[in-house]
Amino acid sequence: MSTKHFIEAEELMAYLDGELPAERTSATAAHVEQCPDCQRLATEFHGVAQRLATWEIEPGSVKMTPAMTAGLDKKPRRLHVPLWAWAAAATVLVVMAIAPQFKQQPPTDKLTSYLQFSAEQSSAPRQASQPVHEAFNASRAAAPRATRLVGAVKPMIARSAHLTLQAKDVDKVRNGIDEVLKRHNGYLGELNSSAPPGEARSFDATLRFPSDQFEAAFAELKKLGRVEAESQSGEEVTQQYVDLDARLTNARNSEHRLTDILRERTGRLADVLSVETEIERVRGEIESMDAEKKALTTRIDFANVTVKVVEDYKAQLHLAPDSVSTRFRNAAVEGYRSMIEELVGALTLALSWGPSLLLWCAVLFFPARLIWKKWLRFHA
Amino acid sequence: MGAIVTNQASDAGDQVAGSQSDELLMLEFQRGSREAFDELFARYRQPLYGFFRRRLSTPDRAQDLAQETFLAVIRATERYQPRALVRTYFYGIALKLLASERRKRTTSPLAAEPRITTEPDEALWLQQALARLEEREREILMLREYEHLSYDEIATLLHLPVNTVRSRLFRARVALKNQLEPVPNPREA
Repeated sequence: MSTKHFIEAEELMAYLDGELPAERTSATAAHVEQCPDCQRLATEFHGVAQRLATWEIEPGSVKMTPAMTAGLDKKPRRLHVPLWAWAAAATVLVVMAIAPQFKQQPPTDKLTSYLQFSAEQSSAPRQASQPVHEAFNASRAAAPRATRLVGAVKPMIARSAHLTLQAKDVDKVRNGIDEVLKRHNGYLGELNSSAPPGEARSFDATLRFPSDQFEAAFAELKKLGRVEAESQSGEEVTQQYVDLDARLTNARNSEHRLTDILRERTGRLADVLSVETEIERVRGEIESMDAEKKALTTRIDFANVTVKVVEDYKAQLHLAPDSVSTRFRNAAVEGYRSMIEELVGALTLALSWGPSLLLWCAVLFFPARLIWKKWLRFHA
Repeated sequence: MGAIVTNQASDAGDQVAGSQSDELLMLEFQRGSREAFDELFARYRQPLYGFFRRRLSTPDRAQDLAQETFLAVIRATERYQPRALVRTYFYGIALKLLASERRKRTTSPLAAEPRITTEPDEALWLQQALARLEEREREILMLREYEHLSYDEIATLLHLPVNTVRSRLFRARVALKNQLEPVPNPREA
């Protein structure tokens, strides 16, 4: 390849690998389309890649080893449960264990015993056949509400930002955004672009970056165009997260207790069915809270950046004029429209002023006639 | 007529484990999710096996080292920080294990018997051509072609500037291309 070539061979290779900086990509692509030397070299690189790809490896049988399983089991599972939540749960269990009514019950019907105990724990009057869920809600209402020691937990911030850019070429900005995403381990959440005729091209993108990469990524995004507007915000969701965590823990504890009750199955059939219904409800709550917690975690771990990019409007020159017949047709249509508009306008005017004019003509007719006759007699 | 284009990727928070990103799975694993690790294991066991298989002589040893990579990930979970892609992290551990393995043994750089998909001579020829490359250049080429790492990732793993990775990758490809071109038969010339 000539030493005076527009792009170096290494640069061509980086372009083929998708590793060329955004500002060089368009020019390189345009050059490669025209240059037989570069096309030949690209074919050679492609050939090398194809030869390398012929070296296939048979599927392995990598399995989980006992050491890996032991490592996973030994690994402390960080549930993020604050100490006060454990204290609250322990208090409830202790109260349940030492309640005299609970101890005095014969051990024949544990389900009914649980119902009675739960009812007594609440302020509601005791009912022998109280449904499990009512007893359960009552016992939960009686349990001490967990206090929020938010200060003991590291603050969790859900960050978001908005940026509006003006640029000469939205394609370059788009490529630049892809580069920033790659560099900072982000991902594209949503992209909407538009190019209406007679208007500037634009696109809206929702990007997500790991929270620790947010500042650097945002600074790089601002350099991609002329900043028209920017805003940043951080919502502290620590309390929300801690509360959600506590509710999830309580719900899981409730599920365990209900499952234990069901396992023993010493109650009446109606009570057993009530327990099953309650378990289903609690599991539904757990799943819902779990999903909410995951969504909240994602909001904390990934900052949300919305970017709007508008291209500088370039007026289009239409070199091909409309045909003569089209122009005549357009003129005829325009003329017909004007005629109708004027007729309607005249009629409207007549309708709006006509009655008034008639009235005054009627009022002034006789005085005007008298004056006219006198004038004629005077001049006769 | 103007063009309106909408391209919407699914929100990572709404996806099931099978389609979550590696980074999210790693964070979840760090918080104690066994399912997240299982998903990462399923995704990376064959690529890691392939990594070692192409660089070591026996499939058993490749399998062992792939498992040791996962074991190292489990042990280092507490210290893991999401500074780079999970993929880069895994291959970083794999490279260290490979270096340690090579120090212990006097294995040839490339000793995997290639799976026969085309003519056997072709595959052997390719392997020998790769073996003739300079070691650093060969490693960069293989990380790019087989592990599909980006220039940045390779630079991070090998502690090199990106431009150095680019120039060595270029030299490796050119050298390999020259190695793979058949030498013209003097009788036919």
